[in-house]
Amino acid sequence: MRASHVGDRVVDAVVARGLVKSYGDVQAVRGIDFVVPRGSVFGFLGPNGAGKSSTMRMLYGLSPKTSGKLEVLGMDVSKRGREVKRRIGVVPQEANLDEDMTTRENLRSYGRFFDITGRVLRERVERLLEYVQLTEKGDTVVSELSGGMKRRLLIARALLNDPELLILDEPTTGLDPQSRTLLWERIREQRREGKTVLLTTHYMDEAEKLSDQLVIMDQGRIIERGAPRDLVTKHLGREALEITVLPEEDKRIVACVGTLAMAHERFGEDLRLFGQDGEAMLSAVLGAGVKPERHLVRRATLEDVFLKLTGRGLGE
Amino acid sequence: MSYLSGYRVRPKLAFRVWQREVTLYKRIWPSTILSSLLDPIMYLLALGFGLGAYVSQGIGGHSYLEFIAPGLIASSVMYAAAFEGAWNSYVRMFVERSYESMMATPAELEDVLAGEFAWGATRAFLYSIVMLLVLRAFGLVHSWYALLIPPIAVLAGFMFMAIGLSYTVRCRHMDQLTFFFTLGVTPMFLFSAIFFPLSGLPVPVQVVAWFSPLYHLVEVTRGLALGEAGFALFGHFAWMLVVTVLVWGLPALALRKRLQT
Repeated sequence: MRASHVGDRVVDAVVARGLVKSYGDVQAVRGIDFVVPRGSVFGFLGPNGAGKSSTMRMLYGLSPKTSGKLEVLGMDVSKRGREVKRRIGVVPQEANLDEDMTTRENLRSYGRFFDITGRVLRERVERLLEYVQLTEKGDTVVSELSGGMKRRLLIARALLNDPELLILDEPTTGLDPQSRTLLWERIREQRREGKTVLLTTHYMDEAEKLSDQLVIMDQGRIIERGAPRDLVTKHLGREALEITVLPEEDKRIVACVGTLAMAHERFGEDLRLFGQDGEAMLSAVLGAGVKPERHLVRRATLEDVFLKLTGRGLGE
Repeated sequence: MSYLSGYRVRPKLAFRVWQREVTLYKRIWPSTILSSLLDPIMYLLALGFGLGAYVSQGIGGHSYLEFIAPGLIASSVMYAAAFEGAWNSYVRMFVERSYESMMATPAELEDVLAGEFAWGATRAFLYSIVMLLVLRAFGLVHSWYALLIPPIAVLAGFMFMAIGLSYTVRCRHMDQLTFFFTLGVTPMFLFSAIFFPLSGLPVPVQVVAWFSPLYHLVEVTRGLALGEAGFALFGHFAWMLVVTVLVWGLPALALRKRLQT
């Protein structure tokens, strides 16, 4: 087990051991262990209902853990919740802004909860509006903002207290590409400034692009962990070959590709073969006289890993 | 999680919650004050002048109009806090989810609830002042003791907020809030000695009415507005204080459980 303290300095932003969350008879989180190192972007990838949001809600004290250990910034959340919350920023899955207030009023009202007041508050609010490109919408009532703007406002709100740890629960679900790109850029910037970012997503490209380390959750458990690219390489190699063939041919194709493929999955009309060299696999398939209706060589992704591990797609 | 946790409040954070409500209210106050005044004034006109014409001997040495007017201050205080504690709070908790957003700050549920109580009490305070001014204009307030009504409305506001929220936090659908009004607020309005003294009712009904929080507020406002401030008023005040303190912790208890799911 890693020590989370070196002297007085807290090394890890989050430490969870045997963390469980039950709702009545249903276990949403079934004993998970993870350590989020400071200054990194840490991802939680998994389908809806995997237990990601339940984990996040425990982290910021909205819902108490059922059992296990949970330390945020070196503090036990169940004992020092207020202090934890003073030093973290949260972007919840569902926008919970004050719809009847203006953008600016939302930020000012929220900032006061952290004892930020007066000139400091006004300046910080203006700076953050700029940061998420909402200055022009400062006096617009929130109910009139688009979904992307609301999400950006949530990010600004989460940054008001200059948090050491930023928790983003599905930050880009349902966002337009433009807002998504801006958000990704801001998340990377936070990391460059030395902040720790914890993010849940069911978009594998997001998890892959942003996180240094990630865990894959399914049905309340962590089923795999590591750096995104390492996970892909470990399970599947570098590339994927998708060929549209009849399922009856699968066995023969897998045999002729041999050790070129590290793994294979049937996915609807397609057979997917994974290995270091997609073109080589394709040559082997064509050389054996198979005539696929369609074929495609591409990079192997985390979604492929998930599919291999669970036999299911991440879905939407 | 215990009942007592509802009393562990950080005043400064509760104040932030209250401040947030003030920001929201700044946009809508003229319309809410106006609409909340119309109801009691209708009753005053219809019953006070209409029915009052047939109650020529008055009640307890006062004209019927003078008798019901202070009770209508009390009822507008109740309605102000009950609406806040029912509809508005339901929307805040379960539709806008603003409780959750505040709880992501250093504020805990207990602080949020205390701030919301204080906000309901503030509205009760404002409405009592406006009602006093209106009744004064009708020439229906005679005593300087009436100046004590707004501070007492603050206590009543806390009381009705705590009672209202105790019910609201258990509602699964917004429609269920209607029962709070049809089975709670409206009977209180009718049987709390606003329109007739309880002494004319059968004893069992009197006993039931004694448990109505509004009855005690009506007795206090009437005593103060008519300048009949006897020792009994302390008893009614104490009743409200005790109920407020006892009920305070209930919403937090139920809501804690519910927010965890």
